[in-house]
Amino acid sequence: MVNFTVDEVRALMDKPTNVRNMSVIAHVDHGKSTLTDSLLSKAGIISTAKAGDARATDTRADEQERGITIKSTAISLYHNLEDEEDIKDIVGQKTDGREFLINLIDSPGHVDFSSEVTAALRVTDGALVVVDTVEGVCVQTETVLRQALGERIKPVVVINKVDRALLELQVSKEDLYQSFSRTIESVNVVISTYFDKSLGDVQVYPDRGTIAFGSGLHGWAFTIRQFAVKYAKKFGVDKNKMMERLWGDNYFNPHTKKWTKNGTHEGKQLERAFCQFILDPIFKIFAAVMNFKNDEINTLLEKLQLKLSTEDRQKEGKQLLKVVLRTFIPAADALLEMMILHLPSPVTAQKYRAETLYEGPMDDEAAIGIRDCDPKAPLMLYVSKMVPTSDKGRFYAFGRVFSGTVKSGIKVRIQGPNYTPGKKDDLFIKAIQRTVLMMGGKVDPIDDMPAGNIVGLVGIDQFLLKSGTLTTSETAHNLKVMKFSVSPVVQRSVQVKNAQDLPKLVEGLKRLSKSDPCVLTYTSDSGEHVVAGAGELHLEICLNDLQNDHAAVPLIISDPVVQYRETVAGKSSMTALSKSPNKHNRLYMVAEPMDEELSLAIEAGKVSARDDFKARARVLADDYGWDVTDARKIWCFGPDGQGANLLVDQTKAVQYLNEIKDSVVSGFQWASREGPVAEEPMRSVRFNILDVTLHADAIHRGGGQIIPTARRVLYASMLMADPALLEPVYLVEIQVPENAMGGVYGVLTRRRGHVFNEEQRPGTPLFNIKAYLPVLESFGFNADLRAATSGQAFPQSVFDHWQVLPGGSPLDPTTKTGAIVTEMRKRKGIKENVPGVDNYYDKL
Amino acid sequence: MLYLVGLGLSDETDITVKGLEVVKKAARVYLEAYTSILLVDQAKLEEYYGRSITIADREMVESNSDEILRDAATEDVAFCVVGDPFGATTHTDLVIRARELGIPVGTVPNASIMSGIGACGLQLYNFGQTVSMVFFTDTWKPSSFYDRIKENRTIGLHTLVLVDIKVKEQSLENMARGRLIYEPPRYMTVGQCAQQMLEIEEERKEGVYSKDSLAIGAARVGGKTEKFVAGTLEELCAQDEALGPPLHSLVLLGRRTHELEHDFVREFAVDKEKWTSLWKAEYDRQ
Repeated sequence: MVNFTVDEVRALMDKPTNVRNMSVIAHVDHGKSTLTDSLLSKAGIISTAKAGDARATDTRADEQERGITIKSTAISLYHNLEDEEDIKDIVGQKTDGREFLINLIDSPGHVDFSSEVTAALRVTDGALVVVDTVEGVCVQTETVLRQALGERIKPVVVINKVDRALLELQVSKEDLYQSFSRTIESVNVVISTYFDKSLGDVQVYPDRGTIAFGSGLHGWAFTIRQFAVKYAKKFGVDKNKMMERLWGDNYFNPHTKKWTKNGTHEGKQLERAFCQFILDPIFKIFAAVMNFKNDEINTLLEKLQLKLSTEDRQKEGKQLLKVVLRTFIPAADALLEMMILHLPSPVTAQKYRAETLYEGPMDDEAAIGIRDCDPKAPLMLYVSKMVPTSDKGRFYAFGRVFSGTVKSGIKVRIQGPNYTPGKKDDLFIKAIQRTVLMMGGKVDPIDDMPAGNIVGLVGIDQFLLKSGTLTTSETAHNLKVMKFSVSPVVQRSVQVKNAQDLPKLVEGLKRLSKSDPCVLTYTSDSGEHVVAGAGELHLEICLNDLQNDHAAVPLIISDPVVQYRETVAGKSSMTALSKSPNKHNRLYMVAEPMDEELSLAIEAGKVSARDDFKARARVLADDYGWDVTDARKIWCFGPDGQGANLLVDQTKAVQYLNEIKDSVVSGFQWASREGPVAEEPMRSVRFNILDVTLHADAIHRGGGQIIPTARRVLYASMLMADPALLEPVYLVEIQVPENAMGGVYGVLTRRRGHVFNEEQRPGTPLFNIKAYLPVLESFGFNADLRAATSGQAFPQSVFDHWQVLPGGSPLDPTTKTGAIVTEMRKRKGIKENVPGVDNYYDKL
Repeated sequence: MLYLVGLGLSDETDITVKGLEVVKKAARVYLEAYTSILLVDQAKLEEYYGRSITIADREMVESNSDEILRDAATEDVAFCVVGDPFGATTHTDLVIRARELGIPVGTVPNASIMSGIGACGLQLYNFGQTVSMVFFTDTWKPSSFYDRIKENRTIGLHTLVLVDIKVKEQSLENMARGRLIYEPPRYMTVGQCAQQMLEIEEERKEGVYSKDSLAIGAARVGGKTEKFVAGTLEELCAQDEALGPPLHSLVLLGRRTHELEHDFVREFAVDKEKWTSLWKAEYDRQ
């Protein structure tokens, strides 16, 4: 039975100092969901017997089937810290009573779903980073950590699957210690790389209790603090002193009965304290149980003062091992203690997160409400994703209350990502029908929810596309839009088998787009319906959902194709000129490539259209070598007002120029969304407007005259600047035993991949191979790899960068690149040959 | 030969005798129908001219002029323009293209709003630069007309404000998608024009004019149902009903006026007492 009620949870919500919002993040298969199970069993949500196998937060059938998490799932837990002493260890933040509410989000580990992680991180303040003892820090561990730190989320770490090290690899105590410390070191390297002054030092240290060690599968875990508490009493020393001694080069010399930093006694190696006091009992239990030494087990149980039920005592082998360790060092206690003691409450976290969360000025009522986590301030709520309800086609809006209180029935302003204060675009004013508490696959109704908590909302799904800001303040700006670390680079087109199902498909695509933070659906001009996702797996899941759930009609699905980008390799060979249809207006422009570093900064949101233009100009001048005058005269980013293409005004004293700016910008957005070569989006191109001549009268230079002209001159300048195609490239990380490495290299070479790093995991036969692999070549890669290595290699692919597609000019259909262009144009139903520059360039 | 034939301001009978002769004998006749409109429909024109007419929309004139100029070197093509061919709207570009192709060009002038507006009673000699008022959008409010009016008013001249018509325009979205779907026609009224003028004054605050500045709203100038309404800009904001259907124009008065003008225009005034008192106070200062 669940050992808490919704009323208890609701009461705790009013004490934001005792709330912890946290996400569980890790590389795929490092055991997040399994570890989460032990927390749920502690809360009585699932039975102890099932914990470790149930994966209760994997609520979907396909998640259970595939054994991976696809969607992040939220659940609220209630925990009572029993010991007053523990409360005293909560440093740097206030606490009110011994009861705590933990809002936990289990997130997917597979890279294809990392947009779900982004959505989870946004609504939480702390993260439990799970790392596999054997595999160590993997590519996705690094990605999620980076994401977390970017959002100013404080991490704590649990090193999981320690049972594997003991049972499979049979390591010694000292080796295990070394392996732990290596893993911790690599976690800390990542953390210090993304150091953020406001967040402070968030590196993790076992001797400060920010790291736990354990096994999710067996349901046990410990922190050094827990052992320190036990031994502090025994030795009669201060607990904190004890914690320091239990990690690092500290030894207890049994001969002198003294603590020492020196690891030898009369030439003999001493066992370090960590091994002697912590690992030793655990190793003994393992040895006794796995070797079926019943007498030893009994002595151990007695010594450790563990009482087992008769039924449990009769178990043997692994089953008994689980029970003993679970009683000795239950995972939930270690994890809950670590989270409560070391992760920030919303009150603490929102103080330093406010400035990264909010777009508006830091002194308006909304910003102050967020900073103070004030339930009486105007409502500021960020909806980070949509969760399907049992009612088909409807969604819960899932999000976090940052300020104010959200209640059923109140009218709120629903501000989409394109909302700008004072305007009416992307704004709805609607009532919230109901508020609910998200409990895994289920929901519990709740009347209201104050700042600092995670909430589900009913009745506003049709007004939000994927995410957005809800507020009651008329002057509030938006909460910042999330930046995803993955981009939809793989796409497939879908069509209905029976023509009369088309409306259902269109509706289904809308629902699909809502249900996933990252998926992109659109209809091309030729009437083709396209679904784009982060990778093959992501797309597969999305299309399954579409076919079985959202549209529920039979579909024909095309082979996956890659999204390309159009760019230029050089500067326009001459100034491009286009005249407006009425010939009274002329635009002169050149295109040139933009620095890759700047493009990356724009894509990462470090340089953005929403920055103050003077501050941005400074950054561009200092970091990217731009001319300050140019940098101040950036008209816009594109496509969609935010992409990595820039339009720069270099004209001198042109009258009425500001009256056509809007039209030129529209033309630029249009052109940068569909480039001249294959109507793919542009990337990393800078356009300079050199001169403009205009008709004196506004009526002759309206949008109808300027927009198409702007597009034509952009195309002309691009076609004269040595256009090229960019293809997306995956970073693939493959873990493989030595004997199967040949197969990996073979498959990679066949697919234009190249290995740039190869490392052995110390103490294991596993190799970690990192390679770049063009997305184009990645279709079927996993299956191919499995076949070539008899299933021993585990690849993870994540989009890494764009590279110029080799193989000649895209304008020449006889080259390899040209053939790809022709193929693409054919698919889109446009003229097969790329229109020449004459179509866009007007002679003087 | 390419003939640019002015059709005058109102109906089929406004064409000149010379123009009618050109139209009757030309191999092809085009009617430019996007910069202005006649107050009668195409069928009526065709009946009167005894010719079938091809409507040349913006698309055709601007992007497909080759069709209009086809064979014009050897046969006559009449390109009919509402008003005067070189009046408010310029078709110089078409002439340049014809010249490049070695096609001779002839012009048949006619009345234009630029001259027809004299009917409101103000002397044409005292008009300054003509400006156009476009339909404002949320993001696009070109205000360069304000500077022109300022220049005119500094030296006491009247300003003729031509108002936007959108006969066959694509919405921005359709244009970006390249779809040839057109919006229903829209014609700006004097009321909208006056309102937008006041909006810009509110924004720029340079005191070029105010809600009490005198102006004349004109509708269907040169036609049988010609109508003038005089008043302050504020009054004109609410006179669209009195003025009736399109096309509208507006004249903003300069201070260089004559008492004859006062007497003439007073007849059109919404509020005759107010008109006279404002005139006495602000205008009438040659």
